[in-house]
Amino acid sequence: MKKKAKIGMIIFLIIYFTVGIINAIYFVPKDASEVTQGLASRWIIQISDKNAWYTRLNPLTIAMSWAIIIGLVIFAVKVGKNFKLIPDRKQSLTESIFDFMYEIVESVIDDPRFVKPTFMISTTLFIYIAISNVVGGAVPGLNVSLAGGSVKFTLFTDTFFAPTADLNTNLTYALMVFVISHTFAIKAKGFKGWVKSWFEPNPIMFPMNVIGELAKPISHSLRLFGNVGGGAILTFMLSYLVKYLLLPVVFWGFFGLFVGLIQALVFSMLTVAYISAQIS
Amino acid sequence: METSLADALIVMGKAIGAGLAMGLGAIGPGMGEGNIGAHAMDAMARQPEMVGTITTRMLLADAVAESTGIYSLLIAFLILLTL
Repeated sequence: MKKKAKIGMIIFLIIYFTVGIINAIYFVPKDASEVTQGLASRWIIQISDKNAWYTRLNPLTIAMSWAIIIGLVIFAVKVGKNFKLIPDRKQSLTESIFDFMYEIVESVIDDPRFVKPTFMISTTLFIYIAISNVVGGAVPGLNVSLAGGSVKFTLFTDTFFAPTADLNTNLTYALMVFVISHTFAIKAKGFKGWVKSWFEPNPIMFPMNVIGELAKPISHSLRLFGNVGGGAILTFMLSYLVKYLLLPVVFWGFFGLFVGLIQALVFSMLTVAYISAQIS
Repeated sequence: METSLADALIVMGKAIGAGLAMGLGAIGPGMGEGNIGAHAMDAMARQPEMVGTITTRMLLADAVAESTGIYSLLIAFLILLTL
């Protein structure tokens, strides 16, 4: 078992370093302006001539989201089909994640009716965001660059595109959490109690409460977007500064694994916190 | 290649704006994370058996505190690259 892991590690490192050296020899751009050109822009497809927000598509976001969703569904079906008393490796991984999240949710949410729904929402968000951050931050793969108005596909020059590096994905989840928390509040306190909670200390504070509630999804989504998107841009520029040789591995490890996992945990923790603040 | 005065002024404005956004935006998160780290160290010294829990909570609080710094980083990138 241990020898197998060692051999796998060596093969992984050899592939990593070979790809890095190939990158360093063949794919280094000439100057800095070539790198920064079109760096923060996304690949967008225009469906019709009308220039509105609903006629534009982000093909990379959609493709990566569906790839991650299908992978997670396959994993879940595989684990759920043969659920045993003595767990194998996949099952114990799933169980430990669920156990970790359930303990936190149970300690934060007071009302026992809402523990299970909150646990489901926050754990789903955590798993999806963690997988997408790690895939988008630490796994080298297909990269799309928009140099000079044309779309160019390259393999292994950069990491995959993370769906969470697109604000649309994050804003969707943040708004979803917003709606869910208020639905739970209506269920827990009744409609009258919910309306009353807007005028809480005294009616003068109503505008403050509205602004405070509306600021929640914005800061919730922008935090994740800034961390993942900014990490991707920083990785790209720093990799250029060190000529793509060995250090991208370090950046991918930091921005992908460390920051990505922590931000996924923060996102799901804030989900739990917002829901508990609404229903208490 | 000749650059006009207007282009040079635009570049200057971009550089100054991005530098100010990043430099001023880094003050708050720096102080906040310093506070978090200091108090976490205090708590760890008082209760060494709670080190694991305190470290996780400290990282969580750090991630929340640094979000304003991340916003200013995004603004700086937007100014420099897309504006």
